[in-house]
Amino acid sequence: MAGSLTTTAQHEPAAGAGRLTHAALSAAGVVVRRILLLAVLLAVVFAAVELLPGDAANATSERGESAADLAERRHLLGLDRPVLERFWDWMTGLPTGDLGTSARGESVADLLSRPFPNTLLLGGLALLLTLVASVALGCWAAAKPGGPLDRAVSASATGILALPEFVVAVALVLVFALWTDWLPAVTLTDADGSPASWEMLVLPVLALAIPQIGWNTRIVRAALADEAKAPHIETAVLDGLPRGRILTHHLLPGALPTITAGLATSTGMLLGGAVVVETIFNYPGIGSVLAGAVADRDSPVIAGVVAVTGVVITGVLLLADLVRAWASGGRA
Amino acid sequence: MTDTTVTVAAPARHRLALRVLPALLLTALALAGPWLAPHAIDAPVTAPYAEPGGEAPFGGDQLGRDVLSRVLAGGRELVVTSLLVAVLVTAAAAVLGAVSALRPAVGRIVERAADVLMLLPAVLGILLITLSWPDGGRLAVVTASFFLGVPYAVRLVAGAAAPVAASGYVEAAAIGGERLWYLVVREVLPNLRATLLALFGLRFVAAVYLVATAGFLQVGPQPPAADWALMIRENSGGILLNPWAVLAPSIAIGLLAMSVNLAAAALVPMTGRKAVPAL
Repeated sequence: MAGSLTTTAQHEPAAGAGRLTHAALSAAGVVVRRILLLAVLLAVVFAAVELLPGDAANATSERGESAADLAERRHLLGLDRPVLERFWDWMTGLPTGDLGTSARGESVADLLSRPFPNTLLLGGLALLLTLVASVALGCWAAAKPGGPLDRAVSASATGILALPEFVVAVALVLVFALWTDWLPAVTLTDADGSPASWEMLVLPVLALAIPQIGWNTRIVRAALADEAKAPHIETAVLDGLPRGRILTHHLLPGALPTITAGLATSTGMLLGGAVVVETIFNYPGIGSVLAGAVADRDSPVIAGVVAVTGVVITGVLLLADLVRAWASGGRA
Repeated sequence: MTDTTVTVAAPARHRLALRVLPALLLTALALAGPWLAPHAIDAPVTAPYAEPGGEAPFGGDQLGRDVLSRVLAGGRELVVTSLLVAVLVTAAAAVLGAVSALRPAVGRIVERAADVLMLLPAVLGILLITLSWPDGGRLAVVTASFFLGVPYAVRLVAGAAAPVAASGYVEAAAIGGERLWYLVVREVLPNLRATLLALFGLRFVAAVYLVATAGFLQVGPQPPAADWALMIRENSGGILLNPWAVLAPSIAIGLLAMSVNLAAAALVPMTGRKAVPAL
C-alpha cells in the first residue's frame, strides 16, 4: 500500500524525498490503526461470547445428559481453562488462521474454508453491481437537478434502501423463477462445492445488491450535488465545457472520496445480507454453515465468521483510505 | 433558536403530513392486527397450502392455518420490538451525543466505538449475541439491536449538537457553573427536537430491518408464533402451491420498511441534510 502512495507522489514533479517518507509513514499509520480496530473487535467478540449466559458445551447437550457428561465435554472443548488463557489462545490463534473449535469439536477454519470463497464471490459481484448501478443512476439523476427523473430516482432509492434482503429475494424468485421460469430459484453446486453456472448467481446477486444500490445512489446523488456547488465547477460551466466532460473530469473525481466511503459501508451490509440471501437460494456459502450454527446454538462458529468478515471489511476500508488519500493528494 | 425548524409554512407541513401518514397508518394496523384476525392463528382452517378462496381469502399455510389471520397478527411483535429499540437507541444517543458535543474526550471514545462497529455487519452481530445467549429470547434481539445502533446514532446527534454546544448561551451557562446534566437536558437537547425526531424514524427503519432479519434467521420469535419474517421462512417450501403464504407477509414487511423510511427521510431537517445520509 505504501508502494501505491509513492507512485502517486511521483506524478508530481515537486514531490521530494521528504514527502515520500511522509506519505509512507502516514500510510503505515493508517494500516496500524485499522489493525488495532480489528483487534479491538476480536476482543469484543470474545467478551460477548464469554459474558453472555450459555456456552458451546451447554448448547449441544442432549436431553437427559448428566452434569458429569457436560463437564467432560467442557473439558474436551477446553472450556474449563482459565478465561485469560483462552482469550490469549483466541487472539494469537487468529493471525495463524486458527479460528477456534465449534461446539461439535470441528475446527471452525476447516468449516469455513470451502464456503467462504463462494460468499466472497457473491458479495464481490454484488459490490461491483452496486458501484456501477449507483454511479450510473446518481449521475443520471444529477443531470437535471430537481427534474421529474431526479425526483423519481431519489424517491425509489429511498424506498428500496430499507428493504430487508429476504423480501427482495422473495419478489425476485416469484417473478423470475416461478412465474417466468427465466432463472433458477435454487443454486445447484458442482462436485467441488461451487455454483454450477453463472445463472445460479444472478438472483442472489440482485437480491443482495438492490437495497445497497438504493443506499449508494442517494450518496452519489448527494455527493454530486455538494460538488456542483464548488467554484471551479461553476467556472467550468461558464467556460462552456461540455456537460459530459464536466461530469467525468470535475464532478466525479471530487465526489470520489464520499462515494468510496459509501461503498465501504455497504461491504458490511452485503456480507451480512449474504447470510440471509444464501439461505433462501440454498447457495453454498457461509449462510449454510451459519444455518447449522443457529440450530445448534454454536457460538464459536459465528465468532469465527465475524472474525473472518472483520478481516475482509478491514481490507476494503484500507482500500477506501487509499482512494481517499490518492484523491486528495491529486487535488493538493 | 428552534423557531426556524418548527415553524413550517402551511403547504410544506401539509406535504410532510402526507408523507408521514402511510407509515403511521401501517404501524397502527400492525398493532391492531391481532384483534382483527377472523380465525385463530394456531388452528388449521384449510388443507396445507390451500389456494385462496372460501374461508381463507389468502389460502392456508404449511399447516393449513389461515394466512390472512396470521398476517394480521404477525406484525405486532415486529413493530413493538422495533419501536422499543428505536426509543432506547434515540434516548441513549440523545444523551451521549449531547455529552460528546460538550466533552470532546467522550466524543472521541464514541467515534472509535463506531469505527470498530463498522467491522461487524449488523446481521452477524445479532447472530453472535442471540447464539451466545440461547435463552435470551426477545431481550437478546433488543440488546443486540441496541448496541449495534447506538454508536452511529450518537455520531449523528453529536454532529447536530456541536453547533448548539458552541453557541453563546450554552457557553454562558457552562461558565456560569451549570452542571453537565443541566446543560444536556435543558440547553442542548431542546434545540435538537427535529434531529431527534428524524433519528427516531431512521432508527425505527434500521430496527425493522434487523428484527425482521433475526426472525427470518430463526433467532427471533419461535414457532408457532405468527411473525411475518418467520412466515416467509416457514412457508417458502410451498411457494408454488400457495404463493400468498409467502407473498402476503413479504408485502407487509416491504410496505412497512418503505413507508417508514420515506417518512423518516421527510422528517430530516433541511439544514441537517449532509452528503452522506445518516442511517
